[in-house]
Amino acid sequence: MDELPIQADWRRWLEDHSPKFLLFARQKARSEADAQDLVQEAVVEAWRRQDNGAPPPLPLVFATIHRRAIDRARSEDRRTGREQAVVEPQPESWFDTGVEDRELSKLIQDAMNRLSDEYREVITLKVWGDLTFAEIAEAVGIPANTAASRYRYGLAELRKLTKKVLT
Amino acid sequence: MNDCEHELFEAELRRLKPAEPPEELMSRLAANLPGRSQHPVTRVRPAQPPIMWWALLRWLAPGLMGAVAVAVMLMPWTKPPPHAAVVNVNPAARTNNVEIDRQLVAAFDTVARMPDGEPVRVRCREWMENVILRDPAQGVVVERRTPHFEIVPVGFEIY
Repeated sequence: MDELPIQADWRRWLEDHSPKFLLFARQKARSEADAQDLVQEAVVEAWRRQDNGAPPPLPLVFATIHRRAIDRARSEDRRTGREQAVVEPQPESWFDTGVEDRELSKLIQDAMNRLSDEYREVITLKVWGDLTFAEIAEAVGIPANTAASRYRYGLAELRKLTKKVLT
Repeated sequence: MNDCEHELFEAELRRLKPAEPPEELMSRLAANLPGRSQHPVTRVRPAQPPIMWWALLRWLAPGLMGAVAVAVMLMPWTKPPPHAAVVNVNPAARTNNVEIDRQLVAAFDTVARMPDGEPVRVRCREWMENVILRDPAQGVVVERRTPHFEIVPVGFEIY
């Protein structure tokens, strides 16, 4: 089946950006399944907001993942209050690495997990999401200056957590 | 941490690339491509019957099977063993090759009000269920798309 031009654009866009979306979603969701659902819901919602059918801007998709993750967490909190449900662990590796970077990948993932949410989301969006501070501000609903300072403090904190290994 | 250290550490982090999503997720995302949703029946299917014929077949096939089964059982000169009538029936189409696909086409939240004025947030999802029936023997391929709405109030305790 021949693809329509718009489908080809979308396929390329998905291949380029879905790893970033999933990385961000994995940090926001409580399970791998939830993270994947978040990405799908956010992409569909962001697409529907586009009048021209073109792929949506990245900050809009990240913002949708952020908002939906909050909604989902609130909804789950209400349930777990009664059920005391066990949070599913996330064994998935966040990064795609060769043998030489496997240790680094694990180290960074562990350290990122120990960071506060505020630092972690800004670092993720800046380093692996390729967003500017203005775009990060738009995605998570904070001033750009706050995004910049959180990034700087978060990076220092992350380096401290990985200090014994990295220089 | 000075600027130089800052940049070196940042470069170290950028060496890591986010993991590729699993194939299953990519398939789900690709299934929601705009072109697909806007042109859901562009795929070429051989010998697709007219929609009215299929509508009739859908109701006639089970009815025909039932009628034949009853007729065979009521025949005074034959005493078929249990289920024999069903085994001997040759329905108009044997659609035992069934493919069912479910796509999420819309998801949004909205707020409704209860009769006492209390606001309740509801989560709405629209799914498109695509059922494809194939009878290779007769060259029949039938595709049926059914929208399905899921509305869940999230303002309530649902468990």
